[in-house]
Amino acid sequence: MVSNVFVGLGKAQARALGHPGLPLAVIPHPFGSRTRDEVRALAEKCVVEIVKLAAAK
Amino acid sequence: MSVVPAVPLSRAALVEAPDDLDELIEFFHARRWSDGLPVVPPTRERVERMLSCTSRKPDEVVANMAPGFGAATIERIAINAVMAGCRADYLPVLIAAVQAMTAKEFNLQGIQATTNPVAVWLVINGPIAEQLGVNGGMNCLGQGTVANATLGRALRLILQNVGGALPGEMDRATQGMPGKFSFCCAENEAQSPWEALHVERGFRRDQSTVTVIGAAGTHNMNTHAENADDLIRVIADTMAFPTSNDYWINGEPWIVIGPQHAEILHARGLSKADVKRRLWEESKLSAGRMAKIELARTQIARSEELGQITADTLLPISGGPEGIGIVVAGGPGTHSVYVASFGDTRAVTREVKQ
Repeated sequence: MVSNVFVGLGKAQARALGHPGLPLAVIPHPFGSRTRDEVRALAEKCVVEIVKLAAAK
Repeated sequence: MSVVPAVPLSRAALVEAPDDLDELIEFFHARRWSDGLPVVPPTRERVERMLSCTSRKPDEVVANMAPGFGAATIERIAINAVMAGCRADYLPVLIAAVQAMTAKEFNLQGIQATTNPVAVWLVINGPIAEQLGVNGGMNCLGQGTVANATLGRALRLILQNVGGALPGEMDRATQGMPGKFSFCCAENEAQSPWEALHVERGFRRDQSTVTVIGAAGTHNMNTHAENADDLIRVIADTMAFPTSNDYWINGEPWIVIGPQHAEILHARGLSKADVKRRLWEESKLSAGRMAKIELARTQIARSEELGQITADTLLPISGGPEGIGIVVAGGPGTHSVYVASFGDTRAVTREVKQ
């Protein structure tokens, strides 16, 4: 799971670690400054995408 | 994290490169093997000469370096040292620096990949500083000294070429900072009134060490303050700014104290620990000075440590006075330097072994 600013990093790191096709769930940047409520809302959205990615695998 | 390199490790491949100097410089730029400046070609002869200054085997892996997890072999460190212009006997310093940077508490992944402007600052202590000519005196953070310039540059090339943090790719820095080209100095132990940094961190005075620090900038503090109270007050006030990472994370800020300022503090009878305690107490930041969103994230990040945090809370810059780092360096003059940290990092010191 990465924020959109770090998608390139996530892909490059996945390649470097031998998993070039690793699916990435993307959330909006920045993440560090979000309140707890915003993080919860993001998590609810993101879990749907993660389940989709896991199911696709 | 244990990482097995995707490519089998052996000695570095030989690459055919142009003889013409202009073409050769462009050859390195085109492959992004440089920091943007011309490099010294790492010919087999130059690399072998560098390797002769360590007893360690060229294919020994010192560490895998985030974020790309490239294997930092002794030979790869030597190749980048040659490219940066290092003299052969500098190699052991860089090997120790790689060991230090890959310690967990340094958080190399964060430092390499962050949007923050973080440079790795090398501080050299012990006899090797004088042996190699690392400058801890006048202009020690500036240009003009071969060891300072090329050791810092070599470290950057290693971070980029072995660690894989290419700007705009895995290095996500919003602006970056000039210290990412090179940021290296010695401590001015001869003019320090206190125990040296490496002694403070558990080493003997006759051991040589390198300390790595995740530094977010240098801010000059020019003051003609003549007494210790006045000097501490203005340094502490400079440390306390509301956009500092250190306050919301519980950081580890550093002060480069010029010898003149150090002498004022010492003459008052203050030890290094005393200075840290005074700075820690006097640099507390009113949480209400932060942007509302930073106050909110500080409330989340530091409530366990500090209890309830409101706009009226006075936030300490670090978990305790010992979290403030002090290095005595520089020449004559009324200057000290504030070095804010990345925040989520801790300095690491390793012995330099031949």
